[in-house]
Amino acid sequence: MNRGHETVACDGCHRPAPGTLRQQLQANVRYWLGVRATPADFGRSAVGDAVCLDCHDRPNDRHPVYRFLEPRFVKARQAIAPHHCLSCHAEHRGQRVTQPDIGYCVQCHRETRLRKDPLDMPHDRLIALKQWDSCLGCHDFHGNHIYRVPVEAERTVPADRIRGYFTGGPSPYGNTLHYQARKEVRNGT
Amino acid sequence: MEHKGFWITLAALACLGVYLFASAPPPLAETKPTAASIPVTEMFAVLEAANDQMRLMWARDFVGEGKKVGLKFDEHWRDADLEAGPLPAQFLRETAKSLEKNPSPLSLYLGSDYPINPANRFEGAQLERFQILRRNREPQFFYMADTRLQVGMFEDVAFAEPCIQCHNQHPQSPKGDWAMQDVMGATTWMYPEPAVSPEELVRTLAALQQGFEEAYAVYLEKVKGFAQPPAVGRQWPRDGYSIPDAATFRQEIIARTAPGTLQSLVALTAARSRELAHASTP
Repeated sequence: MNRGHETVACDGCHRPAPGTLRQQLQANVRYWLGVRATPADFGRSAVGDAVCLDCHDRPNDRHPVYRFLEPRFVKARQAIAPHHCLSCHAEHRGQRVTQPDIGYCVQCHRETRLRKDPLDMPHDRLIALKQWDSCLGCHDFHGNHIYRVPVEAERTVPADRIRGYFTGGPSPYGNTLHYQARKEVRNGT
Repeated sequence: MEHKGFWITLAALACLGVYLFASAPPPLAETKPTAASIPVTEMFAVLEAANDQMRLMWARDFVGEGKKVGLKFDEHWRDADLEAGPLPAQFLRETAKSLEKNPSPLSLYLGSDYPINPANRFEGAQLERFQILRRNREPQFFYMADTRLQVGMFEDVAFAEPCIQCHNQHPQSPKGDWAMQDVMGATTWMYPEPAVSPEELVRTLAALQQGFEEAYAVYLEKVKGFAQPPAVGRQWPRDGYSIPDAATFRQEIIARTAPGTLQSLVALTAARSRELAHASTP
């Protein structure tokens, strides 16, 4: 299981598909015969974003997956598919974030300009220098950690620690959270 | 015995047929409605009309009137140290957020080619469609193959002086010469199906209405933390330092959106009746 999911039961995510096996068979045969519009899941339902959000949905998410469904994010979708939780958080890998590139912010933030830049090395300079692996040194992607964001570039979290966090190491943003994940929903109840 | 295989297969198929259909339990419900007769473009238009009313109400009756009595509205209204409410763009974003939590698969966004927030800048196909929209002043409808979503874009027109003042004077604004009636941006609606059933249309309208109410509920929650909270009840900002409670807000938004929605539904029904009459003509 990925880091933080050690206590999640299998059926917390892999939930029974609606109906009995017989109904599921019947529905799919009807689908193959063209008298039903959609196929039905066999046994267990596919695990998608909705299952993740049952526990992890929060009002303060800075990058909720749905935002990336908008047509203008097509290039980002093609590159890293940020519109699905599992694109960066593939399960059963023993990691926290499975996206290997910590500089993925480049997909959307090439044009970012700040109103009042608090950093001693301005963001537009970092962007001009293509220092994309520095973003997560200050910014927690989903914005759920409560921590003091450094304003001196040299005090930001080094890229190696971010990579370590991705692979399951300690959080460079501390362990104080705005919102705790909810307990998983079992058997669709 | 040379036809043994045939008879065994036939018997097995007969048993399977009985198992699956003759004695089977009720079939699983479809995940898609089967009576989808309303083009999603029509549904987008109905939703857009309701959203226009909501935006007009927020811009004039809350932001416009509110500022006169000391209420503040700011794009950074969510900041803990800011005693302010959302501007129309942020109210729409709150509504959009609520829609994403609703079982309805409807999505709503606001963007522009010259947005104050660079994160809202149109790109690619959306930018191309927006440029056509700005030229023709006609809604744009298209399909995004990678997300399998139907998309509708509607113009967002500068309809009030405060809109253009704010956008022209904002230090982050990339454009400072907006004028009244300019197309400043577009609202983008998305839905997975090319057509919807009447029931689905009503359900989606209800989801939007709920989105408005939940967005307003966030504002009501925020004002509770003000050093001097406005009175919350049946009065509006035009009546003084006050804002309507949730029930009064709901009543008003229904009153304002209902006539347009009803008109659209009647027009849709009439068009459908004409199609059916035409189809049954020999």
